[in-house]
Amino acid sequence: MKMTKLMGTAAALAMLGSGLAQAQTALEGGQEVDMVLLPKFLGILVFDQANEGAQEAHAELGNPGELLFVGPTPENSVAGQIEIMTTSATQGQGAVMLSNNAGDQIAPSAKAAQDAGTKVVTWDSPIPSGEGEDVFVAQVDFGSIGTVMADMAHSILGGSGQMAVLSATPDAANQNAWIASMQDALKGDKYSGIELVDIVYGDDQAEVSYNRALALVDKYPDLGVIMSPTTVGIQASAKAMQDEGLCDQVKVSGLGLPAEMVSYTMNGCAPEFALWDFRDLGYLTYYTAYGMATGQLTGELGESFTAGRMGDYTIEEDPGRPGSKRILMGPFTVYNKDNVEAAAQ
Amino acid sequence: MTRLSSFATGLRSWEGFLFAALLVILAVNAALTPEFLTVANQINLFQLSIEKVIVALVMTFIIINAEIDLSVGAMMGLSACAFGWMFQNGVDARLACLVCLGIGIAGGALNGYFIAAMALPSLVVTLATLIGFRGLARVLVEDRGITDFPDWFDALGQAPMLGPLPFALIAFGVLFVFLYVLLQKTGFGRRTYVIGTNRDVADFAGIDSRRHKFILFVASGLISAFAGLLYAARVGAVRGDVALGFELDIITIVLLGGVSIFGGKGSLTGTLLSILIVLNLRNGMALMNITGHIQTGVIGLLLIGSVLAPRLRLPRFNRAAKPKEVSP
Repeated sequence: MKMTKLMGTAAALAMLGSGLAQAQTALEGGQEVDMVLLPKFLGILVFDQANEGAQEAHAELGNPGELLFVGPTPENSVAGQIEIMTTSATQGQGAVMLSNNAGDQIAPSAKAAQDAGTKVVTWDSPIPSGEGEDVFVAQVDFGSIGTVMADMAHSILGGSGQMAVLSATPDAANQNAWIASMQDALKGDKYSGIELVDIVYGDDQAEVSYNRALALVDKYPDLGVIMSPTTVGIQASAKAMQDEGLCDQVKVSGLGLPAEMVSYTMNGCAPEFALWDFRDLGYLTYYTAYGMATGQLTGELGESFTAGRMGDYTIEEDPGRPGSKRILMGPFTVYNKDNVEAAAQ
Repeated sequence: MTRLSSFATGLRSWEGFLFAALLVILAVNAALTPEFLTVANQINLFQLSIEKVIVALVMTFIIINAEIDLSVGAMMGLSACAFGWMFQNGVDARLACLVCLGIGIAGGALNGYFIAAMALPSLVVTLATLIGFRGLARVLVEDRGITDFPDWFDALGQAPMLGPLPFALIAFGVLFVFLYVLLQKTGFGRRTYVIGTNRDVADFAGIDSRRHKFILFVASGLISAFAGLLYAARVGAVRGDVALGFELDIITIVLLGGVSIFGGKGSLTGTLLSILIVLNLRNGMALMNITGHIQTGVIGLLLIGSVLAPRLRLPRFNRAAKPKEVSP
C-alpha cells in the first residue's frame, strides 16, 4: 500500500518533469484514491448526470478506490454540504468535488478539509471568495451566454421580430447577469431587427412560469419568441404554448434540459435551446480531482492535462474571481432536432 | 418509594430508554466507523449543530411552559444578517455583536408582548414573527454573501479555545448547567412546570404567568440571536437564508427528549440525551456515507416513535418526565 503510494509519487514526479517539457500531463490511471462527489442536493436530474460522467471517468481511470455520490436534502442544503465537507475531511477522502450551494459559508470547512489533505475541486458553482478551493471546473464562460441566447433568438426569428424574457426571480444573480449579457449582445448590428419587449419572472415555479408565458402572449400579439434562461421557465413556457396551440406564432428558447425539452423541440415549440452537458462536466471534474488527489497535478496556473475523451485542458485564472483558478469546459451545446434525442437518453 | 428505586425502573422511564438508545448508537458507530471516536470527530459532531442545540435548551423551557417559539431560526438568521450588514457598513464588530443581542431581546419581547399581554396563541404569533424576522434578514443582505469578518470573530466559531474545545461548545456546557439548575432546582423552574401543566391553576395560585411567559420569550430571542452570531462566526459568512428551517430540527430534538408538546412534562436531561442521540446518529450515518434523505427519514421515524411510545405505555414512560414537586 505504502509502496504503491511511493511509486505513484515517483511516477507523478517523473511525469511532472516530462510534463514541464511537453506542458501536457497525461494522467496515469490505476492509483487508489477515495473521492466524494457532492451536489447541491439530491434528486435533481443534472446532478445525477454529473455523477454518471464521474462514474464513467472513475471506471476509465481504473481507480481501485471509492467514488461516493452523497448530498444533502434540498431543505438542508447549506448545513448538509458543510456537514459532508467536514465528514469527508474526517474520513481522509482524497478529494471532494463540490457543486457549492452554501456561498462563502462553506469556506471554513473547505479550508479545514484542505488542511487535512483533502483536495477541494468545485464544479457547476464555485466558492465565491475562492477560499478553501483548489480549482473550479467551469461549465461555460458565463460571459458568452448572452451571445448564445441572442444568436438563438436571431435564428428563430429569422433576423427580426419581438422577444420577451421569462426569467426566474428578480433577484436571481445568475439569471440577471445572463440577461444583462444578452442585452449587451443585442446592441450589435447583427441583432438590430430584434426588439426585447419585456422581462417577466416566473419565480422558477412551473405554474407561475406557465401563466406568465400566456400573459406575455396576450400582452404582445406580435411576440415571436420567449427566451427563458432557466430550465423551469423554458419547460413551462413550451408547455403553455403547446397546450394553447400557439407554437406556430410563438417559439420558446433559452436554457433547458434535453430530457425535459425533447418533445417540444421535436414538435417545433422550442426549436433551439442551449445548455452544457452535465455528464461531461462530471467527467472533466473527476479527471481534475483525480489528478490533484494523486499528486499528478499540482494545480498551478498554466498547468495542462489530458482529460480522457474530452481532450486537453489548462488551469487558468478565473476572470470572474481574481486570484482564483478555473478550468473552462465550455462551449455551450445548442440543441435542436438533430441532436436533442441523443442527449435526452 | 423513590423514583429511581431500581435500575429496571430507571430503564423503563423515557430518559432511561433514551440513554439505552444512545449507548446502542455509540456502540454501533464505534464498531462500524474507525474515525468516530477520534477527538476531532467528536468536536466536529457538536460543532456542526452547536447553534441548534443551544437554542434547544431554551426551547425546552418554552415547550414545558405549553408554548412554542417557531421564530427561533428566523431570529438566528436576522441576528447573523444584522451583524453582517452592520459590519459591512463600517460598524465595529464588537458593537455589532451587542446590537444583535439587543435585537434578540427586542424580538423576544415582541413575541412575549403579544403572547403574554395580548394572550394570543404563541403558534400564531411566532409564525408571524418567523416570517417578519426572515423578511428583515433578507432585506438586509438579500442573496449576496457577506464575508471577511475580523479574525477574532471567525476564531470564536472555528478555533479551539480551551484545549480542543471551541467557544461555542463551552458556551453550550455553561448554559446547560445554568439552565439545568434553573429548571430542576429553583422556584422559577417549578413555576415553568406548573404554568405548563395548568395555567388556570397557576393563576389561582398567584403565579404571574404572564410575566413568566414574557421572560421566557425574551430569553428565547436573546439565545437565538446569540446562536445566530455563533453560526456567522463558525461559517465565516452570512446570507439571507442563514439558519433557514432550523426551528424544525430544534423542536424535533426537544420533543424526542420527552418534552410534551402539551406542556408540563419533560426535562433538560431528556433534551440533552436527545441532542446526543440525534447528533451521534447523524454523525454515524454521515461517516457511513448514508445520504441526506435516509438520514432525515431515520430521524423522522425516531420522532414518530417518541410520540407513540408514551401512548403505548403511558404510565411508565411518563413517570420520570414529571417534575419532583409541583408546588410553586
